[in-house]
Amino acid sequence: MAGSGHAPLREDLEVLLTVRDLEVEFPVGKGAVVHAVSGISFDVAEGETLGIVGESGCGKSTVAKSIIRLNDIKGGAVDYQGNDLARLEGEELRQLRPDLQMIFQDPISSLNPRRKIRQVISEGLAVWGDEKGSWSQSRIEELMLSVGIDPKFGERRPHQFSGGQCQRIGIARALALDPKVLICDEPVSALDVSVQAQVLNLLEDMKKRYGLTLLFISHDLSVVKNVSDRIIVMYLGKACEIGNANELYENPRHPYTRALLAAIPEPAPTVDVSEGDISGELPSPINPPAGCRFNTRCSHATDVCFTDEPEMQRVGDSDHYLACHHPVAVSINGQQAV
Amino acid sequence: MAEASAANTQLLVRDLTVRFPTTRGTVQALNGVTFDLARGASLGIVGESGSGKSVTAKTLMNLLPRTAEVSGDVIFEGEDVRRLAREGREHFWGVKMTMVFQDPMTSLNPVKKCGEQIAETLRYHLKRDKKTALAEAEDLLAQVGIPEPGKRVDQYPHELSGGLRQRVVIAMALACEPSLLIADEPTTAVDVTVQKHLLDLLDKLREDRGMSMILITHDLGVARGRCDEIAVMYAGRLVERSAPETLFSDSRHPYTDALLRSIPRIDQPSHTRLEPIPGRPPELINPPEQCAYAPRCRFAQPDCLESIPDISGVAGMHEFACFHPANTDRGREALAGNLAQGRTAAGLEISGAGASS
Repeated sequence: MAGSGHAPLREDLEVLLTVRDLEVEFPVGKGAVVHAVSGISFDVAEGETLGIVGESGCGKSTVAKSIIRLNDIKGGAVDYQGNDLARLEGEELRQLRPDLQMIFQDPISSLNPRRKIRQVISEGLAVWGDEKGSWSQSRIEELMLSVGIDPKFGERRPHQFSGGQCQRIGIARALALDPKVLICDEPVSALDVSVQAQVLNLLEDMKKRYGLTLLFISHDLSVVKNVSDRIIVMYLGKACEIGNANELYENPRHPYTRALLAAIPEPAPTVDVSEGDISGELPSPINPPAGCRFNTRCSHATDVCFTDEPEMQRVGDSDHYLACHHPVAVSINGQQAV
Repeated sequence: MAEASAANTQLLVRDLTVRFPTTRGTVQALNGVTFDLARGASLGIVGESGSGKSVTAKTLMNLLPRTAEVSGDVIFEGEDVRRLAREGREHFWGVKMTMVFQDPMTSLNPVKKCGEQIAETLRYHLKRDKKTALAEAEDLLAQVGIPEPGKRVDQYPHELSGGLRQRVVIAMALACEPSLLIADEPTTAVDVTVQKHLLDLLDKLREDRGMSMILITHDLGVARGRCDEIAVMYAGRLVERSAPETLFSDSRHPYTDALLRSIPRIDQPSHTRLEPIPGRPPELINPPEQCAYAPRCRFAQPDCLESIPDISGVAGMHEFACFHPANTDRGREALAGNLAQGRTAAGLEISGAGASS
């Protein structure tokens, strides 16, 4: 399987969540299916932030939603503390739900406009209770304070807040049940840059304060690098490259990773701007290319790329894994890895 | 200086002010915006939501709702655009001055083929017959780098990807050979690789046609790489204007300075603590008579709360609207004083972290 394989899975760490060969398909009528995610494997260590980057349609949101079962999983396993989230059903699944919470891209539409924000934040607690079935106003106030919303605004409704404040409320709601894993799906892409920094710092603070493990999805490569310990680059339902955030950006080997890093307005120093000119369009996920899925747009592609899917392999002895037949040799100007 | 550059100036905007009456009061959307654009040059207008960058574009394009109260001058190639006679205006916007919008899906007609939509412009403004117009449309699609233009003219917008759709919109904007193209967040809705293609395309078209461009974006990085000059807007005002490199290396307005510091940079190691801008943008209804940025500004002094600084400096070189500019002795002094007190004149609590150089 291409772009898959279990090489990036780690055994020596306190791994909290392991996704193995995850496959997700969506029927689109007449027997056709969208191959949204085709065999991705990765793990997240406790307390780590895993970033997922890629362009629209690469399956990054689907991966996140699959983990909390917001869509059906066709194949593979999602191991969380000895439970396979992909198989659990009914009450067993429900019991694990508080552990995995999510914040969404559009902060305003993800809050019920008719509810007061105190109700929005406390709904999870009303369902689950806080410490043996009861919860207190002080818990809500503590949450509001910790995300920087004055508790006296608890009776206001979402439209009375700005986008950045709504995202803070969304974060407070997600934290109400004391989750272990927080999935952030493009949490700052709808925010202005000055507010974006506030929310990113808040996420870092909350991560420390509540001991969270984060899954952070974004199309913005600089944002992902800033928040992540480890990053997965996805393309058309597959993982291209996985690695330590600093290492991956300093030593990008996959032509697609390099293209992304070269295409951004202020390209990374490790790539040449011309590498950002990848030709053509994203192929249809209904009928993805055989071999390496990036072969239609890759300037390094040879015959083998059209027949054999590259397997994830470790690069050197660092925390860096790659699925490519022709990895780009990197000339780095000094190893400033931190 | 004004004399010498007059012949080469394509667009002159003077004291442009826009007010929107609402039930809650009058929104002061634009306050005395003044700038020039040289022929063939590109100006980037950057700012956050509500800063007035899109209102500026819409005012230039005469697209504001009727309720808007506009004052000031827009002189395009020597002609006072806001006072164009009826016949003159019919073939002005969309011909000499055109615009590309953010969302290509909503700026195209979903029930009309792409070719027809481009041809429509040519038939209306340039009175081409149907056949010629369609042939020209196909040619335009080729010029904007759409593969198989012959096939695309007969396709509907939903059959194209986001990047191709935006190219169709660009083709449409170029149909009548405009001398000024206003692009309002043209790449915000697309992926980075597509963004690069589109910006490269706009650069090339601008060069080939000697066209001027106003590029409106919230992304400082985009403006830096693509514009001859950048204007930063805040709360309906231009607060700083200079060449990109000056703006990035030697910004004067504390807002620009803070904005640059708040953005995560790809060359920083992961988990670098960001320096957010405290607070939020001001209300534009009945704003107090003070520098709009003062409540969020680390440099704020008592005089910032008493009057609004005018934009000044060397026109065409580096202009800014601030009493205590960053990266100057005056600014350093103001900041040092504020840091010593732990708070600014506007009452914002500040600490030593992230002190300005």
